[in-house]
Order: sequence, then C-alpha cells, then structure tokens
Amino acid sequence: MAEDPREILSEEERDVLQEVMNICFGNAAAELAEVIDIYVVLSVPTVKVISADGLPNYIKTEIRDYRDVSLIEQNFWSKFKGAALLVFSSGAGKALLSIIGGSQNEPTLKSDPLRILERETLMEVGNILVGACVGKVAELLGDVVSYSPPRLLVGNLDGESLSENILDARNIVIVMQAVFNFQDRDVNGYMFIITNHESIGWLKEAIHVFLKQYE
Amino acid sequence: MIFKQVVDMANIGIVILDRELYVRHWNNWMAMRTGIAKEKILGVHLFDHFPNLDNPRFLRNVKSTLTFGNYLFFSQKLHHYLFPMPAEGSLNMRFDKMQQSCTSYPLRDEDNRITHVCITVQDVTAIAAYEAKLLDMNLRDSLTGAYNRRFLAARLKEEIDRHKRYGRTLSLLMLDIDYFKNVNDTYGHHCGDSVLKSICEVISAMLRNVDLLIRFGGEEFCCLLPETDLAAAMILAERIRKSIEQEVFRFEGREIRLTVSLGVHELHADHDSPESLLRNADKALYRAKETGRNCVFCM
Repeated sequence: MAEDPREILSEEERDVLQEVMNICFGNAAAELAEVIDIYVVLSVPTVKVISADGLPNYIKTEIRDYRDVSLIEQNFWSKFKGAALLVFSSGAGKALLSIIGGSQNEPTLKSDPLRILERETLMEVGNILVGACVGKVAELLGDVVSYSPPRLLVGNLDGESLSENILDARNIVIVMQAVFNFQDRDVNGYMFIITNHESIGWLKEAIHVFLKQYE
Repeated sequence: MIFKQVVDMANIGIVILDRELYVRHWNNWMAMRTGIAKEKILGVHLFDHFPNLDNPRFLRNVKSTLTFGNYLFFSQKLHHYLFPMPAEGSLNMRFDKMQQSCTSYPLRDEDNRITHVCITVQDVTAIAAYEAKLLDMNLRDSLTGAYNRRFLAARLKEEIDRHKRYGRTLSLLMLDIDYFKNVNDTYGHHCGDSVLKSICEVISAMLRNVDLLIRFGGEEFCCLLPETDLAAAMILAERIRKSIEQEVFRFEGREIRLTVSLGVHELHADHDSPESLLRNADKALYRAKETGRNCVFCM
C-alpha cells in the first residue's frame, strides 16, 4: 500500500534535495556553456512528492500554458533511477535546428522531411540537457548512471505515453522540476526528473551523506 | 583477455578514444569495414583519419560524454553516419555510405573519473532503406512514379510559407491530357496506363531537380515550380505542350498521338493560399480547355 506522499521525505530532506538540484543544475548550465557552447538558463528547481497515478495530471497542469508541445523522455538507471521528461514549446525543433545545424557529412537528403530533422534535433539537444542535469545530480550524490536512448512521446500526456516503470500506480514519485530557456532563442520548456520508490531509500541516504559534509 | 575477444568478435563497431581523441582501440569490425588496420590507426588522432568528424556537432556530443558522463545517441536520421564506409550489398542503391546509429559512452577509472570515450557503431542501412522506401510509397503514385496529392497537400503549404518568408516567386502549372477518355475507350486501360507513364517521363525530362511533378487526378497533373515567375512558367508550359504534341506514344505496335492543355498561375504572396493557388491554376486550365485545347493559359 502506498504511503502518505508527505511522509516520504521530511521537510528538511526536501529542502536539501532542492538545494542539491539547484547546485547541480547551476553547474550543468555553466559547463554546458563553457564546454559545449550551449547557453541554457535553468530556473531554481522545485521538488514535489506525489502519487504515481496523479503524475500525468500534475504535469498537464504544470504545462497548461503550452499549446502544442513536444515531449521527450529519457530513462536513466543506477542507484538513482527514473525518467527525465522534457516538454518543449512548439517551434522549438525549428529554432534548435538553426543552432545545432544539420548533418556535417553531406547535404541533407532530399527525402528527409524537415519535421523529422526537427524532431531528431529536439531529441539530441534533449539528450545533452538531460545527461548534463541527471549526471550532475548523480555525481554530487556519489552515483554513476546509465541512460537509454531518448524517445519522442507521441500524442497527449496520458498514462500510455509515459514509461510504465514510472507510472506503477501503487508508487510514490519524487518530481524534480525546472523551467529551462535557451538564451537568445525563443525556446523554452520544462524539465521533470522523476524517480520512484526504488530510488527513494538511496536518495534519502545520499542526502544525509551530503549533509554530513556541512556538519 | 576474454573481453578483448568479445570486443573483436562483436557485430558492431567499437572505437575507444582518450580525452584528446587519440584512437586507443579499434575493433575488427571497424578495421574490416573501413579498411583501416588497427596498427595504422592506434595512437593516431581520430581527425587524421576522419576529418569529417572535426565539426562542432560531433565535438559537442563527445564533450557531453567526457564532461557529464552522458550517453550520447547519434541518430541515423540526423547524422546519416559518423565513419564513412561503403554500404554493403544491394542496399547501396539508395545509400552509397553505410547508414549508422552510433552511441558514445564514458569509460571511467577506479576513482570514477572519465578517462576515455567509447563509440559504438551499428549498421542500420537496411532499416533506413526500408524506411525511405515506405515513405516514398506513401508519397508517390504507384503507376507513374509522380508524387501524389497527399504529398502535394503537405508540400504546398511549406513551399508557400517559404516563398512568402523570403519574397521569392513560385508558380504552379496544371496539365490535363486532351480527350484521354478516348484512349482508354479505344485501346483499353492498359494502353491508357502506358500513355500516362510515358507522358510523365516526357514532362519529368523537362523539369529541374527542384521542380515537383504531382499526379493530381486521373489524367490531370501539376508541376510545382519554385523560384519561377509567370513568364518562365509560361515558357516551360509551352515547351511541354509542344513536346507532347510532337511525341509519338507506342503501345503494342500502335502509334498514338496526344495533346495537352495547361493552366499556369504565379503565387501572389499577399493573398494566395494553397487552395487559391490550385484554384487559379485550375481556372486557367479550364480556359485552355474552353478555348479549344492543346494550348496554354494563365490567369
């Protein structure tokens, strides 16, 4: 039986996790700019604990200002295990394609419709963004993660489009979220890092280890 | 020892680079497909053999692996390939280079520091070829090989948007075979089909690479002509009309002569939509038909 979401993380643990996320996202953005020339601003992240079956509705409510969205999901696993979900505003693919550019090997084949290139570009940029943020969180908490390929979720944000492992209805999920914005481009969106009961034990422990450094 | 054998036997390419991008491992698969032997490439900078990879995009992705420990997936659709190699077998009809799906992974030392990057290379030429074929089948008329209306509907809007954005010209040519029903009634549908194919060949030979030929209906075709103003489109229409008038179509020993009527319209960026562009070209075609056929009209 699911526990009361509010009891999964104490208020202090949640604050610490939020601080961890804040440090990590800041580092991720700085290194993305410094090393990879991708300039992205990430808002101060928030941490929420909710039940898994309420997740689709929660996300829908959060992104209600967006009309047409592209959703990209990428799973990661290790002790820190879960899924990252990126919600891009419409037109993001086109704008990012102009930053990232097409294939360098040869002119784009005539048979490649632009839509496909935009979609693939979103996935590649998403891949970089998710890897930077998740990687930094894992690193700070002493873990090393593996990733599955990013995939584009089609249709609406309902139960079927999210990975089943996140949405096991009996579970509680921790949602860490931030708004991102690519500088000088009209591209913004939401990032949700969602982790479920399998990681909660480790996460609590890692938070306490992290806190000890300051004691 | 055991893992070394696995790496060399695996049916994927495995390349290991150090942080400065010098090649530290090159498995048999890579050696066989690229023709670059291990002895030749180990210890050499990757870009010495693959200058095509010396671009911001590849560097960004590899740095993302080296900096964040990210797994970076290079999709075939976006990159086509990282390491140029010939496509094997019959699939090189469509692709002269092997299509690849590549991934870069971080390799760490005992202290979890990332010391190397591993790139795996998977041959996805067959999948890419089937995908391209399916896409083609969905967008082309199976008899003539011209594009179908589904394609036109999608493309017309894109073309119009582009032409409006950059203030370029765009013309549409609508063509109908005169008295085509007679061909079918007199010689049968096989003959009609053969004539349709031949007419498409005649028209295609007169179009540029950027022009698009679409089978609009039974014996009705249209040509979308980017960067073409009305005067140039009229000249092309007249050339098409003349060529078909002079062409002798042959079917089972019979000689058949045909004519076509054409309507031409140039896009007016401020008030034309996909629908009105088609409608105006069609009106011009109607005028050509009314005027006695075998002629060209514009609105």
